[in-house]
Amino acid sequence: MSPALPIPVVQLLQVVTITAAAPGVSGVISRVEARLQGRAGPRVLQPYYDLAKLFRKEALAPEGSSWVFLAAPLAAMVCYLTVPLLIPVLTTFGLPLGYMGDILGGGFILSLASFLVALAALDSGSPYPQLGASRAKTFGAITEPVVLFVVFTVALVTGTDLPYALAATVRSSAGQIIRPAHLLAAAALFMVILYETGRIPVETHSGTNEFGMIEEARPFEHSGPYFALLKWGSAMKQLILYTILLNVFLAPWGLAASSGLWPVLLAIVALTGKAAVLGVVVAVIDNSFAKLRLFKITEFATAAFLLAVLGVFTLYLGGG
Amino acid sequence: MTAIVTAAVTATVAAPSALSGGADVIAVGVLLAEFGMFRQALLRDQVRLYAAQSVLISALAVVVAASRHLPDLYALAALAFTLKVVIVPVVLRRLLRGIGVTGGDPRWSDIAGSHTLGVASAVLVAIAVAAFGFFTAAALGIRSPVLPSTAFSISIAVILVAFVLMIVRRDVISQAIGFLSLENGVSLTALVVAAGLPLFLELAFLFDLLVAVVVFGLLIRVHHGRAESMSTADLTRLRG
Repeated sequence: MSPALPIPVVQLLQVVTITAAAPGVSGVISRVEARLQGRAGPRVLQPYYDLAKLFRKEALAPEGSSWVFLAAPLAAMVCYLTVPLLIPVLTTFGLPLGYMGDILGGGFILSLASFLVALAALDSGSPYPQLGASRAKTFGAITEPVVLFVVFTVALVTGTDLPYALAATVRSSAGQIIRPAHLLAAAALFMVILYETGRIPVETHSGTNEFGMIEEARPFEHSGPYFALLKWGSAMKQLILYTILLNVFLAPWGLAASSGLWPVLLAIVALTGKAAVLGVVVAVIDNSFAKLRLFKITEFATAAFLLAVLGVFTLYLGGG
Repeated sequence: MTAIVTAAVTATVAAPSALSGGADVIAVGVLLAEFGMFRQALLRDQVRLYAAQSVLISALAVVVAASRHLPDLYALAALAFTLKVVIVPVVLRRLLRGIGVTGGDPRWSDIAGSHTLGVASAVLVAIAVAAFGFFTAAALGIRSPVLPSTAFSISIAVILVAFVLMIVRRDVISQAIGFLSLENGVSLTALVVAAGLPLFLELAFLFDLLVAVVVFGLLIRVHHGRAESMSTADLTRLRG
């Protein structure tokens, strides 16, 4: 029998896991992507070295920018540190602070972070970040309904919109997994995640200077530790979204059922492993599709919307 | 805390049985294939999606046959497979190769640009029409002994979306594909409503499909021969 960890420690470990593993998942994705393209690619640990380097550099702010420009990366980071408290990262049972917000609550905090980054981009006064921020908000407005419909599906299936409840429902029987509503909602959420993390059908992730940029263009004017926080934050956002998809929709297995030391450690390993596998899938998608033209992104969003809406429809008719 | 989660789980909408869940997934797949054809800009992919949709229909027939012990349906599934997955796509492709539409021909653009609405708005219109079909069919309260009633609603949605496909596309070929996939929707409805229908009648429907292919083939050839294009936008005048 392993020693039981105090509950607050488990809760803290959720945040620490996401924070520490996020750059690693990005590293795995770029490594796999490079290997698939026949390049050697960067080390898996490269994002950590990048962050360490950026933290040692000096920070500059463009002339005329206000305090918002420098405060936003910090505030966004705080948002990304809050969300792992709300979602099932390591445990099957709800942790005390996990009931502060439901799926929508987590979504609001994530969009608050993205709003703050957009504000900082506008405040920089230079055209590229402003263009990225305006595009991110425009397309964000059309992916938002998809997220809402996914939440409706969850709410109709479980009678609540707590992420813990859906994970428990999915674990309860195989019938819950192959029901069309669940598959459709999971597919729609995956498409939204591809958009939110700036992956290929929507945006090239590794480009430096490109007209199709959305998310990647926003931190152009930031430098030093602030830029590091933004990069780290976007890696964390990616891992948070992966965690929601994996631990709530696709594979809520391997989570700790008690607060014992070994189950929790196992859950940390399982989450990292699952996120790495999902990262490989994303890398394969990155290499198999062409980037959509900017004006075709609405078509991508309507496809996701179609899936989510059909999920709700089938549920309404009692067959989903 | 755990109590809340367990309470939530017991309040859950009961999951459908594995069989009806699987049947629903296949039916939803048919609808998604229909939407795929709806969005698709390339003819070759449209024909492929039609074949995939027909594969799903045959699979559903096999599922029904196996679970309800209706041996007739095996024969129907096999026949539908040979006809709709192999023969019709091959005939369509040969037909189009005959008039030089496939390959690097610039006349491809006739198909790519045949949307009368933007793709996103067209899909939204189709979602609305499909929703109408869904809920109207559900209100009829038709219960089937062999398939979940969701499949019936979905089949009505497939038929309506096929109609919208024929309405919003301006090229003859998409319209032919829309008509053929409409027949797939009808097959799905038939499976739900009348799985025990005599095999003879089902065969008659399938041969109707062959007639439709021949008629559409003729239409495509004649239209292409006269207008040198696939677009029906030229057909604005009545002629004696």
